[in-house]
Amino acid sequence: MTVQTPLTHQDFKSDVKPIWCPGCGDFSVLSAVTKALAELGRPREDIAFISGIGCSSRIPAYTKVYGFHGVHGRALAIAAGVKLARPDLTVLAAGGDGDGLSIGGNHFMHACRRNVDMTYIVMDNQVYGMTKGQASPTTAPDWCNSKLTPEGTGISPVEPVRLALAAGANFIARGFAGNPNEVARLILEGINHPGFSLIHVLSPCVTYRPEQRDWKQAVHASDATPAQLIAEAMHRLASDDGFTTGVLFAGNRQAFMPPRRNLATIADLERKFAS
Amino acid sequence: MSGYSVSVALTGSGGAGAMTAGQILLDAASKAGFYGLMTRSMGPQIRGGEAAALLRISTKPISSLDDHYDLLVAFDWGNIARFAAELPLAANSLVLTDPEQGEVPEPIAVFGARAAELPMKSIASGIPGGRVNMVGLGAAAVLIGLPLDSILSVLTAQLGRKGEEVLAAATAALRAGAEAAAILPSVTKLGTAPKDGVVRWNISGNEAAGLGALKGGIKFVAAYPITPGTEVLEWLAPALDKTGGALVQAEDELASINMVIGGSFAGIPSATATSGPGLALMTESLGLAVASETPLVVVDVMRGGPSTGIPTKSEQSDLNIAVYGLHGDAPHLVVAPNSISDCLYATQWAVYLAEALQTPAIVLSDQAMGQARALIGKPAESPYVAKRLVAEANIENYKRYALTASGISPMAIPGTPGNNYVADGLEHNERGTPSSQASDHQSQLDKRAHKLDAFDYGDLWADIEGDAEIAVVTWGSATGPVQEALLRAKAKGINAKMISLRLILPIQPAKMAAALKGVKKVLVVEQTHSEQFHKFLRAHYDLPKDVAVISQPGPLPIRPAEIVNRLAAWK
Amino acid sequence: MSEVAAFLAHAIALEAEAAERYDELADAMAVHNNEAVAELFRKLAHFSRLHHAEVKEHAKDMVLPQLKPWEYQWQTAEGPEAAPVERTHYLMTPYHCIHLALQNEKRGHQYYADISYKTNDPEVKRLAKEFADEEAEHVVMLEKWAANIKAPEPDWDMDLDPPVVSD
Repeated sequence: MTVQTPLTHQDFKSDVKPIWCPGCGDFSVLSAVTKALAELGRPREDIAFISGIGCSSRIPAYTKVYGFHGVHGRALAIAAGVKLARPDLTVLAAGGDGDGLSIGGNHFMHACRRNVDMTYIVMDNQVYGMTKGQASPTTAPDWCNSKLTPEGTGISPVEPVRLALAAGANFIARGFAGNPNEVARLILEGINHPGFSLIHVLSPCVTYRPEQRDWKQAVHASDATPAQLIAEAMHRLASDDGFTTGVLFAGNRQAFMPPRRNLATIADLERKFAS
Repeated sequence: MSGYSVSVALTGSGGAGAMTAGQILLDAASKAGFYGLMTRSMGPQIRGGEAAALLRISTKPISSLDDHYDLLVAFDWGNIARFAAELPLAANSLVLTDPEQGEVPEPIAVFGARAAELPMKSIASGIPGGRVNMVGLGAAAVLIGLPLDSILSVLTAQLGRKGEEVLAAATAALRAGAEAAAILPSVTKLGTAPKDGVVRWNISGNEAAGLGALKGGIKFVAAYPITPGTEVLEWLAPALDKTGGALVQAEDELASINMVIGGSFAGIPSATATSGPGLALMTESLGLAVASETPLVVVDVMRGGPSTGIPTKSEQSDLNIAVYGLHGDAPHLVVAPNSISDCLYATQWAVYLAEALQTPAIVLSDQAMGQARALIGKPAESPYVAKRLVAEANIENYKRYALTASGISPMAIPGTPGNNYVADGLEHNERGTPSSQASDHQSQLDKRAHKLDAFDYGDLWADIEGDAEIAVVTWGSATGPVQEALLRAKAKGINAKMISLRLILPIQPAKMAAALKGVKKVLVVEQTHSEQFHKFLRAHYDLPKDVAVISQPGPLPIRPAEIVNRLAAWK
Repeated sequence: MSEVAAFLAHAIALEAEAAERYDELADAMAVHNNEAVAELFRKLAHFSRLHHAEVKEHAKDMVLPQLKPWEYQWQTAEGPEAAPVERTHYLMTPYHCIHLALQNEKRGHQYYADISYKTNDPEVKRLAKEFADEEAEHVVMLEKWAANIKAPEPDWDMDLDPPVVSD
């Protein structure tokens, strides 16, 4: 019998080179994901990593697990399908703020309330990078640097963690790409927590939002223990500045999974048609 | 008219129980050993709307409604104008009306059929717990010569658990209607039920499609409710639950198709069912299934379109979106059942094809088959079950989209060590790595087209009956009326061949050329407004010079007589 | 677990993270056709790996604690010698690259100097002092290197083409 050496995070990196701009926060998220998976200790083949479309959605190809790079906005639906069909797999989904909260907004809400056991990493840079820098649902209303909205959007941004809490997510955390080891911890906690886990990662876009380099100064770790009651989490998040990192909510709802039963054969079912 | 069948329409609004009476009549016909078919026509109201149960009971298997109804039992005339066109009557047909409901209204009177009165409401009110529909049902049974015992046995089975009183009331009302019918004018009567020893099934097209999916190996379904596809799901939900599978209700069709893609990617044969609006929402992701080579099945139970259209009534007008609706060059499978029993076979075959070819299959059923119930002989077993070419563990330098002779590449299922890959909707190279290079695009497009073109679909691509210089080319639920029309035409000395396409995509030019060999004239029969099927045939197949088309939109079914008349005109 | 073992575990991780980050940056620069800087980052990764091997040599007979990535007690978010991702740019020049590395080495020196000042463990103090001195040498070396590289033009980050659209 051969002794298996544990996989390191490097074993979870593929040889495909990211197309991300140098300086992009997504590099750190990739590092965090691989570190979390190394600590998780499951074989690579038992992990499925699902994404949609956008810069950050390229991430599965940069890892060495089974992956699906689907269409824009539907990562959570594919991920739910994978987990519901194969409860034995560890399922991760990832994408950006546009993919997850705009075109995929409906799936986001329902993924939170459906509470299938999976972990969703939103790399939030408040901009659409792949289509040349348009405002996203998390962009501030007065951001004027897009040709589509030269006067700003004038629309209140959505706060992903508040939305997730309202919709019923069972685990909510926020991390910052500048602290990949902390993000790794949050991802691992999310994976180990039953039900749907949201890991909201502030991940700067150095190309369209160079000012986000200053996020390093803005983020601050939560000094509270994670809220376990929705009311408590709501109260805290109501006055949150959007830069608090750490586990923000850890609920105790049971994960959704239809039971697998063998109560009848197809022949049994067919007999009902016979008159 | 056919000589071996009797057609009955039961109509009424607001809880008169026309649908229930129809269901009981069909079940009773089954008990008595007949074959039969029942469709329904309903108003848009959730409750209390006008409804018609449209039945044809026969001494041999049938696949179509008749040209007209021999008996129309109207419990009332509420909103009859809305669907009078769906109730054609002949001169010797009988309209049974309740004098309390007033004169036979104009839209029905124009058919010029005989009319007779039966005070159903007053008879029912004389029986404690008596119901109008049971009175009408009793009368109808006597008029068409269906043994009352068969109805009583159905009533006992269905109402027994509701208690003695309910059963007694129903029985009394039924007998009262039967007795009252003794003095009514006569109607075409059923012949003797065949003693063929064939086990009868009472099944709807939607149930059959669900069963076909299950028998094909589907274990995971994600879906969003939509009329008239919902019953496929309603049958599958408990069926999957009992047999080790699962059905999940998604938040919309965008989610359901992507959940299905996820389930299939994870190695579990997966399917969904929908109708036109849902199929439209799914098309982007169907392209993803094509590009990522993820097998799946979508059962589209077509209804009148476009937009919300006529949700409760049938049409074949999703042909274009099923064939052409995907963006890019996206070869996929389109399979069309052409009878209620074929909803089982075609769906099962579609599962097999999708899994074998690692591509999505759209099954084009429709409301006319899906929501119709038929008494059919127990379907024979079909050999087609899901069998996917999967990759063994630890293949060195595994290439998910490897270029192979067949175009089909072994698919690594999550959990298989050593072959991890990323499925991608972006164009990719053999490994699956995104690529925008012309050579990768060309070779992957070739691969995906080739695997479908090179596959041997055998004889199931079409049902071909007869041999003649005239061919009727049709598909889907239009096939039933064509089959009946060709039998009648034959009796008149007109021979015609039927070609009913089951495999819409990929096209089968060589097989069609062989089928059309010697054919001089073609009649295309379909149920669309814009002749979608005719244009599809024109685009992909060589037809003889002389082509005629019968194409009408829903909700009116195509009647056999119209086809016979067209063939006769040709002669 | 001895303080020395914990110290060496940190030292190994510090160099490993630094090397890995330089590798990532080298790849990113190569993808963005900035070969000159990619080459420099590869060199820096190589040096970090040499140091990594040296530190491992120090620890070869020791049982080191198995720390999870977030259990390391850095004063910074990441290992002190890991180049901050956000300080990079696809058009960055060798000048920026060397200055970036210089900052990293200075943080490395500071890290070890702090430990050697604060610790009560004589062996840790000795090692930290040794490593701090080494880092100081790196700093001097990089400063010399930096002095020989001309500062870029002010418009070094000007791209004559707009960003492209992708998926």
